[in-house]
Amino acid sequence: MGKRIAIVEDDPTIRANYMDALCKHGYEVSAYADRPHAIAAFRMRLPDLALLDIGLGTEVDGGFALCQELRALSASVPILFLTARDSDFDAVSGLRMGADDYLTKNVSLPHLLARVSALFRRAELLQQPDCLEDFLERGQLRIDMKRFAVTWGGKPVELTLTEFWIVHALAKFPGHVKGREQLMGEAHIVVDDSTITSHVKRVRRKFSAVDPGFDCVDTVYGLGYRWRIAD
Amino acid sequence: MMAVPSPVPAARASRVGLSIRAKLVLVTLVLMIIPWVGYKYIKTMEHLLRDNQVQAVVATGRAIAAALQDRPRLLELLRAPAVAGDAAVAPRPVSEEIELLMTGLARTGSRIWIVDRQLRLLAVAGSLQTTPVSVSGTLAFGPLERAVRALLRLLVDQMQEPAIRTAEEVIPNDVVFGGRQIERALDGTPSWRLRTGPDNRTAILTAVHPLWVGDTVVGAAVVEETTQAILSFSNRALEQLAAVTLIVFVVAALTLFFFASRMSSRLRRLRDEAENAIDSQGRVRGLVAGERARDEIGDLSRGFSTMLERLAQYNDYLEHMASRLSHELRTPIAVVRSSLDNLRLQSLPGDAKIYVERANEGLIRLDTILTRMSEATRLEQLVRESGRELFDARAVLAGCVNGYASVYPGCRFQLKAAVQPVFLNGAPDLFVQMLDKLAANAADFSSGYGPVEISFLCTTNEATLTFSNSGPPLPAGMQGRLFESMVSMRTASKPGEPHLGLGLYIVRLIAEFHGGRVAAMNRTDGSGVVFELRFPVAR
Repeated sequence: MGKRIAIVEDDPTIRANYMDALCKHGYEVSAYADRPHAIAAFRMRLPDLALLDIGLGTEVDGGFALCQELRALSASVPILFLTARDSDFDAVSGLRMGADDYLTKNVSLPHLLARVSALFRRAELLQQPDCLEDFLERGQLRIDMKRFAVTWGGKPVELTLTEFWIVHALAKFPGHVKGREQLMGEAHIVVDDSTITSHVKRVRRKFSAVDPGFDCVDTVYGLGYRWRIAD
Repeated sequence: MMAVPSPVPAARASRVGLSIRAKLVLVTLVLMIIPWVGYKYIKTMEHLLRDNQVQAVVATGRAIAAALQDRPRLLELLRAPAVAGDAAVAPRPVSEEIELLMTGLARTGSRIWIVDRQLRLLAVAGSLQTTPVSVSGTLAFGPLERAVRALLRLLVDQMQEPAIRTAEEVIPNDVVFGGRQIERALDGTPSWRLRTGPDNRTAILTAVHPLWVGDTVVGAAVVEETTQAILSFSNRALEQLAAVTLIVFVVAALTLFFFASRMSSRLRRLRDEAENAIDSQGRVRGLVAGERARDEIGDLSRGFSTMLERLAQYNDYLEHMASRLSHELRTPIAVVRSSLDNLRLQSLPGDAKIYVERANEGLIRLDTILTRMSEATRLEQLVRESGRELFDARAVLAGCVNGYASVYPGCRFQLKAAVQPVFLNGAPDLFVQMLDKLAANAADFSSGYGPVEISFLCTTNEATLTFSNSGPPLPAGMQGRLFESMVSMRTASKPGEPHLGLGLYIVRLIAEFHGGRVAAMNRTDGSGVVFELRFPVAR
């Protein structure tokens, strides 16, 4: 059964391009140009994954509103934000939107596809009782590779897909320093240094919310980051 | 933008040629015409008075002549002195009559004498002596009076000390015998003239009138007066004029001087503030001098403020150009990228693949530009929102420099730092970003002649960080502008890599976030460039 993806994007060319690419990979794609059409369709039938542009036509934050409405309809549908603005990253993370990840619009299609498939995998495994488990444990950290979920000391930590990949890249080899380029590669993004810095900062913040004494992510100035080996 | 504490602008030497004060002084010199006019007025009055005097003296002469005319016996009696005996009794009353007549006609200060046809002096009455006019007390202030008089003696030729006593007690012979006036009078024509007294200082007015008996002239009456009264009056008037003028001028000059000084200082302050309102990095500060004054200077100041506001707005617009561009460009770039990505997924003939790849390369470069521009924007945001903490900048620097050796293999880095930790108040991540940019800049421009020298030294209040690399020197005038957004000096050191001139702009933003200042200058020996950053040390 083909997975259904809904794209909500006001620029027609981008919308068409994404639709073509996703269709080629075997997904069923429905595309909408604005919020009213999209939410009407969602009410009739929920998609399996939603790709939302934030600026929709005249509504500058239309994507946020749409996300909230969609979340009201379903708590588990994976949602990916696409944004043209630089300032949205922190804004998006600050709002508890419940989105699974956010990207800038000029993300390359292979990266986008990598995320889509990862999100589908996670969604599947969350729904089914798992038989094969793949865990990575480092001290209090427990990374569920199949479900793309992270727990710290037993408590779940809500991370976006990008942040999950970053934590995984660091914790895979604790004590090793990972440069920013490497982290970018593992997270399937191409961004500038300060974006990586923001992501890491957000990771720290999310872990600290669960455990105020968290300090496993070390900054090695000039080189990158590393996961501190817990004693 | 961050508000940067900047030093108070130093007052600069004035470039003015002729200051307002000097101009006002020159203008007031025009008012010098007033005392000159006064002087002319006094002189005119003096002439009028002298004319008056002449008329009066001539009239006296005429009156005497009229009183004595047709009285030939009077003259004979006058001629013949009193003889003892029979003539003694009868002429007495007639002489007395003449004496009374003469004295009655004589005015104060005029001398009247009568001569006959043979120029024999028949009678004299009155004297030329004037009662000294008291000249003290015309001016209230003694020293002022003396000063004024001294000044006037220098300026005015005709100022003479009025003689207290005339030196002419006796009618000199040459007057009687030498003067042509008496001869003319004896011929029947009244006349007058002005002669100088024996001391060459006084002027004596002489009027001569013939005495008629019937149709013959039997003698002449001479009336003499000095012009001293008028002279002293004129002097007094001049003194008063001079004193008043002097006082008025001094007061007016002082007032104008203070007014001009105040005006000058207000303008100078406005000029200083206007000059320093835009600093070398294009940041605009407001004007405060005289902005509430209600005259033209206040108006000018307000005009400047308006102009500066507009300039600041425009600068703001330019500075945010990068972020606006990045925002606008993102969607079209996304269109191109997604289209190219889709194209690559198709099966293409060999040629087409090459073109697709080339297009992709171009796109990557565009994307890099976009990334850099958004970096600057995001940094401005971060700088606004970042919290601060105390961190050891020396340790951070040391760690970074260690890393640079591997990131820039072709370039050596040499660090000279203080031994103790140096604490700054800021954000370590941003500090690292700034160091990265400086290191990248130094490595790119370094000619390889010697290592990149980094030093971090600390005094009690200030820490100085310098990055010095060998290479081409900075052109003159660029030092301030390097740190502006999108100003670049490169001539494509690495061809193929786009350069936007944002790196040093980011350095400046972060330095200012930490309360510091940046400056770029050439090395003293011209072999390279030094970037110097100063930070306030946190306690």
